[in-house]
Amino acid sequence: MARKILLVDDEAGFTQLLKMNLERAGGYEVRIENDSTKALATARAFMPDAILLDVVMPGMDGGDVQAQLQSTPLLSHIPIVMLTALVDSTELSEGAVGQAGSQMVLPKPVNLALLLRVLEEILPAA
Amino acid sequence: MEKLSIVESVLDNLPVAVFAKDATDDFRFILWNKKQEEVTTIRAEKALGKNDYHLFSQESAEYFRSVDKAVIKRGSLMKVPEEIIETKNGREVHLRTVKIPVHDKETGRLLVVGISEDITEQVKSREQLERLNRHLVRANTELQETQMQLIQAEKLESIGRLAAGVAHEVKNPLALLLLGVDYLSQGIAPEDPNVEIILKQMREAVERADRIVRGLVDFSSQRSLSREPIQLGLVVEEVLLLVKHELTRSSTKVSVRMEKDLPLVFLDMSKFEQVLINLIINAVHAMSGTESKQIKIRARAESLDEVVKNEGARKREVFRSGDQVVILEIFDNGSGIAPSDSGRLFDPFFTTKATGLGTGLGLSVARRIVELHGGELTLQNRTKETGAVARLILPTKLETAKVTTVSGKVKTTEPVKGIDTTIGDLSS
Repeated sequence: MARKILLVDDEAGFTQLLKMNLERAGGYEVRIENDSTKALATARAFMPDAILLDVVMPGMDGGDVQAQLQSTPLLSHIPIVMLTALVDSTELSEGAVGQAGSQMVLPKPVNLALLLRVLEEILPAA
Repeated sequence: MEKLSIVESVLDNLPVAVFAKDATDDFRFILWNKKQEEVTTIRAEKALGKNDYHLFSQESAEYFRSVDKAVIKRGSLMKVPEEIIETKNGREVHLRTVKIPVHDKETGRLLVVGISEDITEQVKSREQLERLNRHLVRANTELQETQMQLIQAEKLESIGRLAAGVAHEVKNPLALLLLGVDYLSQGIAPEDPNVEIILKQMREAVERADRIVRGLVDFSSQRSLSREPIQLGLVVEEVLLLVKHELTRSSTKVSVRMEKDLPLVFLDMSKFEQVLINLIINAVHAMSGTESKQIKIRARAESLDEVVKNEGARKREVFRSGDQVVILEIFDNGSGIAPSDSGRLFDPFFTTKATGLGTGLGLSVARRIVELHGGELTLQNRTKETGAVARLILPTKLETAKVTTVSGKVKTTEPVKGIDTTIGDLSS
């Protein structure tokens, strides 16, 4: 069964292309939410295995969405990967994947191979 | 009351010194008024019947005599705007004098009459004014220099703030482009072989743009260091390993000479490595036209006073007089710095490299990192040989322990191993 990924990012073009890439990589069912204020509702309805969350978004930012998800009983266990254009290269040099608290952070532009590896790590085997 | 003629009475009450010499009798004084007594501190009865050689130094007397002779020869009034006589008690008196040749018809004698005004006070206040003016000019120059530095700092700050914003806005479209290229690259092998080349170039272009943006973010986010005491030699060794490929590829020879027992320096290892890599790669690029490329790395310890004297260091406000510093120099034998470039080397986005080869941020980031370490980075042409030298002056101490407030109590943090030195938040 395909693992379910929820993409929350206000950049419609970016989410669309990421969905295409993930789906072609195989084994993923991807849902897009471009409006961060609807992220919680979409997550409830879709019940993803992992959430890819942009940081800088209008309305609610990634941090707000994360707090909301983590305080919702049925959703708090879902692993979240933050995607951000704010990380600087010195932070990235330590293994390219940063850890903000228990939070996975990936830099934009996203290295697809790296993202797939990270997803394999955090998702339960299909 | 002593009986005096009107003329004598007037003469003695004049606010100017008046005297007369008889040119036909070896320039002996025949008139010497009260003010002249005051100015010269010589009483009239001592002066009358004597000449300048009896009363003043040889040098002064010769000077007075030459002027007197010139007055006689000219036969008309001469003005001496300023002359100095030294009194017996060693005081210098400045005089403005007019000398007039007078032919006494009754006696047939040729006289030189002098009228002198004591301008000592005027001269003193003029000199004081000049001194003050020089101080003012110097203060003004310093002020202008400081202002320029402030403007430069402000410029860098603005660029930093701008950069963080721009970086975010640019990274998002780049992310989209890269995903598009990823998707297309994995498609079924296209019939047109150019498609593969185009996609490869597009990916490289995105990566290049990302590097530039990342450089900008680096530049704007350099404000926190994690410093520990380190032997500079170890850092240099490590960096040379990291740039080994670049050095081999360009057949650059490297010689390293570090003074024995250099004091430890407090460095953020990874950031400082970035600085050295940058300087070495720059040196390699600068030697692209040189046949036998050579980089020399030298390090020595000096006291700050010597450094300020020898290197014209600017960092007096950071270092203290007498502080030990370590000087690290990287010499290349490349083309050197063009005079027109020397003022802009550390400006963000200034580069002499072809488009795509340099972001123009390397040196400005390097200098910023060094300055966060309380050090100084300069780049100059070598004096005796061709090529340039990058000079790093590094403190051997952490700056004065900073004061932080912990739960309302003021606590002084000690400079300890691995201390995290945060230098102001520059982003606000």
